[in-house]
Amino acid sequence: MSTLTELGTLDVLEAEAVHIIRECAAECERPVLLFSGGKDSIVLAHLATKAFTPAALPFPLMHVDTGHNFPEVIEYRDWYVQEIDERLIVASVEQSIAAGRVQDETGPRASRNRLQTTTLLDAIAEHQFDACFGGARRDEERARAKERVFSHRDMFGQWDPRNQRPEPWGIYNTKLRKGEHFRVFPLSNWTEVDIWAYIQREGLRLPSIYFAHERQVFTRDGMLMAAADFVERLPGEEVVTETVRFRTVGDATCTACTLSTASTVEQVLDETRESDVSERGASRADDRTSEAAMEDRKRGGYF
Amino acid sequence: MPVESPMLHAVAVGSVDDGKSTLIGRLLYETGHLNADEIAHVEEASRKRGRKFLDLALLTDGLRAEREQGITIDVAYRSFDANGRRILLGDAPGHEQYTRNMVTAAAGADVAILLVDAGNGLTSQTRRHLAICAMLGVEDVIACVNKIDLVSYDEGRFIELADELIAASQAVDGPRITAIPLSALEGINITQRSEKLGWYSGPTVLEVLHDLDRPIADEAFRMPVQWVTRYDEGGADVRALAGRIASGTVRVGDEVVALPGGSTSTVTAIDVLGDARDAASAPLSVALQLATDIDVSRGDVIAPVDDPPQVATRVRATIAWLDEAPLSAPARLEVRQSARLVPAIVEELHERLDLDAMRNEQADALEANDLGIATLLLAQPLVVQPYAVNREMGSMVLVDPGSNRTVGAVMVTEVLAG
Ligand SMILES: Nc1nc2c(ncn2[C@@H]2O[C@H](COP(=O)(O)OP(=O)(O)OP(=O)(O)O)[C@@H](O)[C@H]2O)c(=O)[nH]1
Ligand SMILES: [Mg+2]
Repeated sequence: MSTLTELGTLDVLEAEAVHIIRECAAECERPVLLFSGGKDSIVLAHLATKAFTPAALPFPLMHVDTGHNFPEVIEYRDWYVQEIDERLIVASVEQSIAAGRVQDETGPRASRNRLQTTTLLDAIAEHQFDACFGGARRDEERARAKERVFSHRDMFGQWDPRNQRPEPWGIYNTKLRKGEHFRVFPLSNWTEVDIWAYIQREGLRLPSIYFAHERQVFTRDGMLMAAADFVERLPGEEVVTETVRFRTVGDATCTACTLSTASTVEQVLDETRESDVSERGASRADDRTSEAAMEDRKRGGYF
Repeated sequence: MPVESPMLHAVAVGSVDDGKSTLIGRLLYETGHLNADEIAHVEEASRKRGRKFLDLALLTDGLRAEREQGITIDVAYRSFDANGRRILLGDAPGHEQYTRNMVTAAAGADVAILLVDAGNGLTSQTRRHLAICAMLGVEDVIACVNKIDLVSYDEGRFIELADELIAASQAVDGPRITAIPLSALEGINITQRSEKLGWYSGPTVLEVLHDLDRPIADEAFRMPVQWVTRYDEGGADVRALAGRIASGTVRVGDEVVALPGGSTSTVTAIDVLGDARDAASAPLSVALQLATDIDVSRGDVIAPVDDPPQVATRVRATIAWLDEAPLSAPARLEVRQSARLVPAIVEELHERLDLDAMRNEQADALEANDLGIATLLLAQPLVVQPYAVNREMGSMVLVDPGSNRTVGAVMVTEVLAG
C-alpha cells in the first residue's frame, strides 16, 4: 500500500469528475451516460466505473447512433460494453427518420449531425431520463466554455445560456421539475492533452481510428474527410489514400481527420502538445457554418 | 502532510468594460496558448465588428448575446499551464446584473485579477467585487490599473488608484493587493514590460501568477458521504462510504465519528478509485470502510473523533443574494450544503453592506446582488463550521423551492446554539 504525497493535475481532475458522477447518481432518479465510443466518452465511462467499483454502474450507457458511423467505432462500442458488462441503449437516428420524426438531409453536404438532437430528446422522454452525462470539455469550444457542470434543460430540452444556475464552490442545485433534465459534464475542466495523458496513465484501449492508418479521403473546405458510401462528393473532390488519424469521433459526414503518423498513445500525446490547431478546428465541419453554431445547437437540445 | 496543490484557480473581476476579457485573451495569446484557428476566428470576428485591431475579448465572449452587446454575461473558463502548474482561469462578467455569475466564478478562487479603468477609476462595482472576493476568502488580488494608455502612461494616476484599491481592500478586511499598471490592449505588463512605463519596476501579471504559493491547507479531516455502496467480496458483505475528502487527511486505523448521528468506528480500509491506500488527503475521491456497521447515510460527515465539526440548527451567515426578487425575512427556502438539502428559514436580516460607504447598515431586505448578514434556522441539524475555519463545511447555497432557482450563496460566520 502506498501513501500519496504528491498530487498531479490528473489526480485532481479525476477526483473532481468522480465527485460529480457520484453526486448526479445520488441526486437524480434516472441518469444515463452518453457513450459514442469517442475518446472523451471512453474516459467518462472509465471514470464512472471507477466511481462505483467494485459495484456495478447505477445507470446505463446510451449511444445516439446516426447510422453514419465508422465501423471501427461500433465494433469498439460493442466490445467495450461487453468488457465492462453494463447495459447499452441505442437510440437510432435511422428509426427517427423511419418514424417521420425527422427528415434525412440529401446532397453532398447532407449530415445527420443536427438530426441527432431529436433522437436524443425522444430517447430522454421515452426512458424518462433526468440526467445525461456528457464528455464535453470547456476547452473544446466557446459556448461550451460558458456552460455549467450541471447544465439545466427545460421541458423542450433547451439550454438558456443567459440564465444558468450559479454553482459556487461546486455545490450543485439538482432540483428539477417533471420533464426537465440536466446535462452533466464531469470533464468540464479537462483539456485534450489531459484526456490523452489520462488514457496513457490508465492504459485505456481506444478505437483504431484514433491512430495513424491508411484511409481513402478527399479534401473539402480545407479539411480531410473520409470517403464513405453515404457521403456524396462534389465535382472535383478527388479520393486519395493518405495516412491519417482522427482527433474526434462524430458523425462520419462531418468529422474530418488529420495527416499523422502517430501510432501509439505516446506519439499522439506528443502531437497533441505540439499542435497549432484546436481539436474542433481540425475536425468539425459543423462549426464553420456560423460564429455561434454550437451555441445555437445547444440551445435546441444538442449534446 | 500539507501538499502543494497542482492547480491554481484564478478569476478576472472588476467593473463592466474595464478590460477583463481582453486581458485573458491577451494572456493566452502571449503565452502561446491560442491555436492558429482560434486566432483566425478572433481576427474574422473583429473585422466583422469593424474593429481595426485584434479584439481579444472575442475569444472568451463566445455567446451570441455577449457579442451583440460587447459585454460578458456568463463566466468562461480556460485552462493553461504555466511553470509546471495548471491555472484554471475564469473570466467573470463585470455587469451588475450578472453578479451571480461572478460569484460562481470567484467562489473557490485562490487569486483574483481585479481590473480598474485608469480613466474612470473605482466604481461601486469594483468595490462590490472586492468585497465579494474578501467574503469568499480569496487571499490574493492582482489589482490592475488598466487602460494606462488612455492616461498617457501617467505614474501619478497609477499611484493614486493603487492607493485607493489598497484602502478599499482594507475597508473590507480584504485580500493582499499587488498593484500593476497595465494595458491589456497594447499588451503591457501582462507577460512583457514596456519602455512606455519606464517608471515601473514591479512584476507582470504572469510573474505574480507564477510566484503564488498555494499549499493545500492543513485542516482537520472531513468527508461528506455522497454514496453508500454495498457489494460482495469473497462471500463477505462489504459496505463502503464513498465521498470526496473535503479537507485534511484520513489514515487506516483512525477513530472517526459519523455526524450528525454521532456513532463512532475505526477506518479499516481506504480505497482511492480501486487502489488500496493507507492514507489519503483532500481533494481525492475515496471510499472508506469502517470496522463496524454504524448508521451512516448520504449527507453525513465523517470526521476524527477527537476533532469533530459542530452540529447545529441555527447559524449566522453572510449571504450574497443572487435573485431578482428581493429577500426579506422571514423567508422559507432550502439550504444545499455538500451532500445535503434541508428546508431553512431566513429568520432575521441583520445588516446589508453599503458598497459606496463601505459599511454595514440596517436593512429590511436584500436586493439582487446585495451582500448581507442573516440568521438561518435549519429544519434538520447540519454539520457546519465557520467558513473562515473550513470552507467546505461553511459554504452553502440557497434554493427557492418554488422556482428551483439558486438564489443565494452563503458563508457561515458563526455557529449558534439551538
Ligand atoms: N485603450 C484601451 N482599451 C482597452 C484596454 N483593455 C480593454 N480595452 C477596451 O475596453 C473595452 C472593454 O473590454 P473588455 O475586455 O470586453 O472588458 P470586460 O472587463 O471584459 O467587460 P465585461 O466582461 O462586460 O465586464 C473593449 O473595447 C476593449 O478593447 C486597454 O488597455 N486600453
Ligand atoms: Mg468580459
